[in-house]
Amino acid sequence: MPRYRYPTIPESEVTPKALFESRRKFLRGSLSLGAAATLAPGLLLPSKGFAWQEVLENRLDGKLPSHDWAGDEELTSVSDITSYNNFYEFGTGKRDPELYAHRLETDPWSLSLEGELEKTGIYKLEDILKKQKFEERIYRLRCVEAWSMVIPWVGFPLVDLLKQHGLTSRSKYVVFEAVYDPERLRGQRRSIIEWPYREALRIDEAMHPLAFLAVGLYGEPMPNQNGAPIRLVVPWKYGFKSIKSVVSIKVVEDKPVTSWEERNPEEYGFYANVNPNVEHPRWSQARERRIGERGRRETLMFNGYADEVASLYSDMDLRRFY
Amino acid sequence: MASGKNQNVLLFRLVVLGCGLGPAIILLVKWLFGDMGANPPEYVVHFTGLTGLTLLLATIAFSPAFRLSRWVGFMIARRQMGLWAFFWLVMHMLSWMGLDQYWDWPWIYQEMLELEYVRYGAGALLLLIPLALTSFSRAPAVLGWSAWHWLHRLVYVSAALGVTHFWILTRADYLLPGTFALVFAGLASFRILDGMIHRQ
Repeated sequence: MPRYRYPTIPESEVTPKALFESRRKFLRGSLSLGAAATLAPGLLLPSKGFAWQEVLENRLDGKLPSHDWAGDEELTSVSDITSYNNFYEFGTGKRDPELYAHRLETDPWSLSLEGELEKTGIYKLEDILKKQKFEERIYRLRCVEAWSMVIPWVGFPLVDLLKQHGLTSRSKYVVFEAVYDPERLRGQRRSIIEWPYREALRIDEAMHPLAFLAVGLYGEPMPNQNGAPIRLVVPWKYGFKSIKSVVSIKVVEDKPVTSWEERNPEEYGFYANVNPNVEHPRWSQARERRIGERGRRETLMFNGYADEVASLYSDMDLRRFY
Repeated sequence: MASGKNQNVLLFRLVVLGCGLGPAIILLVKWLFGDMGANPPEYVVHFTGLTGLTLLLATIAFSPAFRLSRWVGFMIARRQMGLWAFFWLVMHMLSWMGLDQYWDWPWIYQEMLELEYVRYGAGALLLLIPLALTSFSRAPAVLGWSAWHWLHRLVYVSAALGVTHFWILTRADYLLPGTFALVFAGLASFRILDGMIHRQ
């Protein structure tokens, strides 16, 4: 099978830095104008910059339907969720995301939908969010480093977005790409993995009702360090599959190679399903430490979502396709 | 003049004491203020391991420091530094067994079988035990100077295993384990070259 390579952008298409910077200045200018407009109604100018945040905040105000997919387990505290995670764009320390994520600029944000879809293009995040039915989903999150959390996400099923854009018959895989901005994201100045971070799902995984696009947690907009403004959550897979700060979703025909798979294919397979029976050279996967809890608990097959997702892999040897 | 020199040695021994006790104070303060993050067991295991390996490399560095400076203080404080390194590596092992594995011996055995770096770390620590046991003042005389020196060269094997342990357990960012590996390579090369020169 040919190895999927993410297309490189020709030099001619790269926006010159000066132009990029002046655009940022223009946006910042329009933001302060927008702020002035709210203070002086006579000057009515729309505050374009914060459009998606407004959409989100209006929606979060209402009571969202909540679905507990963690079986009444105790929620991990918001301070643990926001101060202990991996987001290598900000550094490899567990506290680096909390310390440095404020530099990420999330507004305005657009999402590129490309490839084997009927409707492709670059969409403003607010235009995408306006069409979604938001809900809260309480999921377990299991990191390959053998720690876990229970997190109340807010967002919408990935399948909804894919259906809105019309999958074609050649839709086999969905590739996600995260933000790339080494000037603001200090972790990207060193090539720990090949930037930008890239993840992917097989189309039936992406269409599964549990696959979720999250824009918030604990009823609040997503904190930067947890992947603002929009991130993937695939609760039956190791955490690294749940790519943060997504800028591009591309539907393709050939199997892609994900960032971690490229970095170390022996350890980080394409599927990365939580599986206590498949060993890993760095962390025993049989048990996990639930953050905030004493002791260790047994890791569940597919992170406890076997009833829902095992059928996706019924004809596969999960030792080979780890 | 002689008393001035002794004062310097005493001062240096206090610095070494600070290197050994300082991390304990840092750890205690972090624990008291709840400043170990969301995963305190992991924090303690990493902290004790890094401290132990750093002090082990520092101990090895005392011999070249003496060769280059001819200042006897390095040789006098070397054993003290080595024992602090051993102390922190024992704390590393105990915190892993107690805080990370909850003294569950079947688990500990299972991790040993499954994870290569655990075996390297255990080997590094086991090799240091005879060194720690023969670190009392009269040990070289009891064992014979030549035997004692040969035995204590195991510190290089132990440090190599320790650096390897750190290297293997690292997921992606090799900046820190790479630094340790470079420092160890430099110290080992110096020792080998020095040995070759002085034998002639």
